[in-house]
Amino acid sequence: MTATLTAPPARGDERLARQSAFSRLAGRPEIGALVGAVVIFILFFVVAPPFREAPSIATVLYQSSLYGIPAVGVALLMIGGEFDLSAGVAVISSSLVASMTAYQLSVNVWVGVLVSLVVALAIGLLNGYLLVRTKLPSFLVTLATFFMLTGLNLALTKLISGGVATKDISDIDGFASAQAIFAQSFDVGGVSLRITLLWWIVFVAIATWVLLKTHLGNWIFAVGGADASARAVGVPVKKVKIGLFMTVSFLCWFTGMHILFSFNTVQSGQGPGNEFLYIIAAVVGGCLLTGGYGSAVGAAIGAFIFGMTEQGIVLAGWEADWFKFFLGAMLLGATLLNVYVRRRAETRK
Amino acid sequence: MSLVQLTGVGKNYGNITALSGIDLEVGESEVTCVLGDNGAGKSTLIKIIAGLHQHSSGTYEVNGREVHFNSPREALDEGIATVYQDLAVVPLMPVWRNFFLGQEKRKGLGMDSAFMRKTAKQELLDMGIDLRDVEQPIGTLSGGERQCVAISRAVYFGAKVLILDEPTAALGVKQSGVVLRYILQARERGLGVIFITHNPHHAFPVGDRFLLLKRGRSLGYYRKDEISRDELTALMAGGAELEELSHELDRGGGGVAAAAAKMLEQESKELGITPGSTP
Amino acid sequence: MSRRVRRSLALVTAACLAFAGAACSSQGGAQEEADTNSGGGTNSGAGPQLKMAMVTHAPAGDTFFDIIRKGADAAAAANNVEYTYSNDGDPTRQAVLIENAVNAKPDALLVSVPAPEAVKGAVQKAVAAGIPVVGFNAGRETFKDWGAMMYFGQDETIAGRAAGERLKGEGAGKVLCVIQAQGQSQLEARCNGVREGFGGQVENINVTGTDLTSVRSTLESKLRQDPAITHVMTLGAPFALTAAQAKQTAGSKATIVTFDTNAELVGKIESGEIAWAVDQQPYLQGYMSVTAAAFYLRNGNTLGGGQEVLTGPSFIDKSNIANVSKYAKAGTR
Repeated sequence: MTATLTAPPARGDERLARQSAFSRLAGRPEIGALVGAVVIFILFFVVAPPFREAPSIATVLYQSSLYGIPAVGVALLMIGGEFDLSAGVAVISSSLVASMTAYQLSVNVWVGVLVSLVVALAIGLLNGYLLVRTKLPSFLVTLATFFMLTGLNLALTKLISGGVATKDISDIDGFASAQAIFAQSFDVGGVSLRITLLWWIVFVAIATWVLLKTHLGNWIFAVGGADASARAVGVPVKKVKIGLFMTVSFLCWFTGMHILFSFNTVQSGQGPGNEFLYIIAAVVGGCLLTGGYGSAVGAAIGAFIFGMTEQGIVLAGWEADWFKFFLGAMLLGATLLNVYVRRRAETRK
Repeated sequence: MSLVQLTGVGKNYGNITALSGIDLEVGESEVTCVLGDNGAGKSTLIKIIAGLHQHSSGTYEVNGREVHFNSPREALDEGIATVYQDLAVVPLMPVWRNFFLGQEKRKGLGMDSAFMRKTAKQELLDMGIDLRDVEQPIGTLSGGERQCVAISRAVYFGAKVLILDEPTAALGVKQSGVVLRYILQARERGLGVIFITHNPHHAFPVGDRFLLLKRGRSLGYYRKDEISRDELTALMAGGAELEELSHELDRGGGGVAAAAAKMLEQESKELGITPGSTP
Repeated sequence: MSRRVRRSLALVTAACLAFAGAACSSQGGAQEEADTNSGGGTNSGAGPQLKMAMVTHAPAGDTFFDIIRKGADAAAAANNVEYTYSNDGDPTRQAVLIENAVNAKPDALLVSVPAPEAVKGAVQKAVAAGIPVVGFNAGRETFKDWGAMMYFGQDETIAGRAAGERLKGEGAGKVLCVIQAQGQSQLEARCNGVREGFGGQVENINVTGTDLTSVRSTLESKLRQDPAITHVMTLGAPFALTAAQAKQTAGSKATIVTFDTNAELVGKIESGEIAWAVDQQPYLQGYMSVTAAAFYLRNGNTLGGGQEVLTGPSFIDKSNIANVSKYAKAGTR
């Protein structure tokens, strides 16, 4: 027991000073993932010569950002104690809505982009509302939306555009400016970087600030950690949860816009499966599956681990048939290391 | 004048009577203990005082003014704060974040973390809890300490009346003692405390008034000078157990058991509890 | 101008007004599309309407099978046929779909069978029930075993070999064969065919077909890892388009070639970004399956003389692209 009724206040500060900067860092949720990322980075750096080149790293970072952007939202949601299995498909739903709105009505693509944003937020609202209303586990609610969106993506695309992929929208007004925002590439020291990397950093920074420095962050942790307690002290639990689902939708929408403006068309059957990658990124990054603990930076590192492994295996030229096996093995390794490091950190404290 | 006064309060859920004819009061620097076994109506009573439920009959006055609370928020605005059994804390969150949860001090778009850390530490110190670090997750504190954080949080946010729901129920003797000291500390700071418990040994040393509940009715309402610790203990035991024990022994038959049952019955009569007098 | 078009024009006008005109695109979009109503043939179906069931192994939202269905739709309209369509990429689930279709007692069953072991039993139930079965697209080697009387499609190995031989003729160095769904036999067969026909070095790579950005990044990495690659062979049109992007980013000089086409791909062949495509004419596969079944039911005809009818391979490249291009835009090539 650390509490004593008679302890003089000065002693408190003294004991506090004994905590080193190291153990402070070790207490962060993302530390295990960070160590895992470094180990995997070194591994590929050694075994895959192309991995050492800047353009390859740019590709790794780009691919990581595409997992990482939705993973920011998924991590916040997971800290808030819920899942969203519809996230992977919602990405494609967003691009389909934007693309078809702009094409079928022959309106500026920005109209499509905004309509799509509204639709995406509505999907998040629906997920959240159904969850707080029915009190069903989010696993079930979002699994239902996952199937519904998968079906809608295919059926509506076919009904509206007559095919299973949308038409090329690159000659419609506003395409260039939208592409500049969502999907442009730019050169940094001769290396071509895609803009999603910047957006990823921005979203992670905002999410980290919200989590650690605002009352909303406090509420998100509380809602995920003990929702009955949060409700008892006046945290608007339902609103927080709905807001989190809408945040996921927003980030999925953003990713969907990137896909649309970098491919010009959208295949309606794309997307399923990626929701698990977002969840994996969050969990590898130290978010607790049960909620109440985690960080946005961790999810970013998780996404980076995944993107790095995926591309690293190719860059190392390992046998293609073994790809999935290596991917799984690396993830297992990273996760075990993560758990090990976190345990060490906890006992040290 | 009493901070909180209930007169003849009752509560029906449809045609089920959960509570009837309850009198209770608590004033400044007073501790009123509510004793009773499971199902005695303690939690219904708390919910009425805390504003979660409304009473169906009788009057509920705060500072002499009759009230009908529609939500815990309204009760809180009158300075009536409840510390529930589960304490309404989030175990994985740091102490200071828990302390201010739901009532964070904002600063611009964000919140004033430095102020909140400092205040939480100071407030806890004022209650006599010296924490090494307010950054540690509240789940790492002992049960008694957590109880105290919850109490000092309520006090900081302007509570005049504290309702403590079984704060010692899950604690060992030593931890219980710590919590009882904080209750006294709160009383010294001028607060009224409604202390719900089933343990007369915890209630007697700190209480000024004692309300005994059984099956939704008052079994007795005493000031401290009207009752001794033994009487209180016997009442609690008598109300709940003696009677039942005697029945059980009777049913078991046999000479010795019957004799023991008779003795118990005799004892409960002496204490003024007539078997079968409860509805 | 049809009433539907007029109504949708009115809708657009309203939409444009709503966005104060400024939002309306000056070019592109559906409102620019010519009224290309490619009606079916004139082959009128005599007799009562026939009911058929088509069950394929297509993954959801597949552009290639979309063309097959367009062919089937046109044939159905031309021959007074009504048909139900169901699809599942998983063989055991496809078998269940076939059983469901058989239970509805159609006049004919049209199936694509990439995994005969799993699906055979279900197809044979149809045969036992006296329902004529027509195979198409996948299952050429085994169609007689599972009881189909006709088959329309290409031999994936032959097609692959033809592509391989063409690569050899072009003097390719090393070929990367991109498999978008690991473990699908017809995709592996194509790559094996390429390997046989080419005779040189062919390396397979597995990509996640349901995530094009991941496909792009993976191909970028692969092209960087192995600068010896001179040709990238994709097994579906969307992947060829993605490979073309990856090639650009990776600064590779590799030539992109592919199996199968779609409207966008045709444009890329015109511009030269993609060299050529192996075409198995999916529209014909759909069209001929429905038509042949109708002819069998109404007139006792069969096609192919007990052998498969090959719809491919043919090549689409710069020399014949002008001819194909207008059909591709209409979604029939």
